[in-house]
Amino acid sequence: MNNKKVWFITGASKGFGLSLVKQLLDAGQLVAATSRNQQELIEAVNTQSDGFLPLQVDLVNESSVSLALQHTYETFGRIDVVINNAGYGIGGAIEELTDKETRQAFDVNVFATLNVIRYVMPYLRKQRSGHIINISSIAGIAPGTGWAIYGAAKYAVIGLSEVLAADVKSLGIKVTVVAPGAFRTNFLTPDSLTLTTNPIADYEDVRASHSKYLKMDGEQAGDPEKAAASIIKIAGEANPPLYLLLGGDAYNRALTKLDALQSEIYEWQDLTCSTDFEYDLKSI
Amino acid sequence: MENKKVWFVTGASKGLGLALVKRLLNEGYSVAATSRSISDLNKAVNDDSDRFLPLAVNIKDESSVQEAVEKAISTFGKIDIVVNNAGYGLVGGLEELTDDEARDNFDVNVFGSLNVIRKALPYLRDQKSGHIINISSIGGFVGGYPGFGIYCATKFAVNGFSEALAQEVNPLGIKVTIVEPGYFRTNFLSEGSLITPKNQISDYQNVRDAQNLHQNNLDQQQPGDPEKAAAAMIKIAGADDAPLNLFLGADAYDLAHKKIAEVKNELEAWKELTTSTAF
Repeated sequence: MNNKKVWFITGASKGFGLSLVKQLLDAGQLVAATSRNQQELIEAVNTQSDGFLPLQVDLVNESSVSLALQHTYETFGRIDVVINNAGYGIGGAIEELTDKETRQAFDVNVFATLNVIRYVMPYLRKQRSGHIINISSIAGIAPGTGWAIYGAAKYAVIGLSEVLAADVKSLGIKVTVVAPGAFRTNFLTPDSLTLTTNPIADYEDVRASHSKYLKMDGEQAGDPEKAAASIIKIAGEANPPLYLLLGGDAYNRALTKLDALQSEIYEWQDLTCSTDFEYDLKSI
Repeated sequence: MENKKVWFVTGASKGLGLALVKRLLNEGYSVAATSRSISDLNKAVNDDSDRFLPLAVNIKDESSVQEAVEKAISTFGKIDIVVNNAGYGLVGGLEELTDDEARDNFDVNVFGSLNVIRKALPYLRDQKSGHIINISSIGGFVGGYPGFGIYCATKFAVNGFSEALAQEVNPLGIKVTIVEPGYFRTNFLSEGSLITPKNQISDYQNVRDAQNLHQNNLDQQQPGDPEKAAAAMIKIAGADDAPLNLFLGADAYDLAHKKIAEVKNELEAWKELTTSTAF
């Protein structure tokens, strides 16, 4: 990295967020990092660097987010890269999760990201520069069995990122959505993952899928340090991708999904294309 | 006998929902139909047959949904096809839309459908049959529309939970289809239906342009015929080979293929970095 950039990273006390913060500080970058618990964050990052601004933030609370961004801007004078990383997994059949549990998952995984975007944009627009990087998941492209709500939230992150990219491109602001596969973070531990407390006997496949995932804990192929390095790399690109998948597993799962979808679209072409008004053809 | 199938359709007082309900009643099906306003619904459907059960439902409210599902079951004895159609469009930059405006769109487009699914599934599981049809949008797969960030996010979410739902209920004999219409000539883009932000920021000229295009040039010029969309849905409902994804309209067909190609190209272009992250 040639110059010092200012980074704003949410969910920084563990997982990708922590790896990112540590690597960036090692590289001499300026990093504002958020966590629900400032003390945990300071202990986890464990640095003496002046470039580190630890912030205690409730991301679901708009004024807390707004203050954190203001604090960052006042401390460092600008904000270059925003990484919406905070999130957690939630497992259960749709029917096994309550409306409340469902909404809580969206609070952190979707509405918190929107809060950060809403309050950082005035700074980025003023600068006419910036890069917003939203961490989704391969579950946001191809959801696993028993992860419908998590998948829905991560799909939503991909959808809003695609449109945001179109909204802000002319303002000099870039957007990337990152879809990691399985990485050896603490994602599959109770701290980051909520499973339904109301299992219904019929959902044997959901139980089997959850056991399979939980058994993977500690064995995931992906190295979080390499994921962090990849994310840092694209933040320095003049033309970063809109989508960045991380991990061979994510790559394969996305392609399998896209191929299956493409085949299905071809298979149903006649019905799909049977619904237009006849006479509209000439007016186009 | 196919005509004895019982349908439960939300958001039935206008648009695709209304076209579907009218066609179903004409073809002899039994239909429980929901709307916020029962008088709007009755006026729009204008059918006094006892195969039509109009229900006033606030789909954001689980207990209101629960009551409606129970009423449909006690009236018709079962539910075969659930169509989560209720939803509305919202156009505005992410920064322009408040947390409340964003959440309200999710309340109806996402959490409302999840309420219906949550409350209908016990009956479908008992029957070991049923078909849940979730009306998404081409905007649930293609996000390149300036200004439709929240709307697309809600519809992407519908696609996401529907795909996972299909996997979780397939062993129980229940099918799931995501319907992704392109532009259909309903009142979707009309004033009072398409919501715009209260707080507009002058930097977002492209969002205003998109808003104007949709409100002034595309409204009532859409190539899609709602009657044909309804017919297509009836055709696949309950079919053994029903697709998981059904795009509707030549526009949706083209956009979906284009999107797949774009994502594949980008995946390929960044493959080296993507696959560099294993231990």
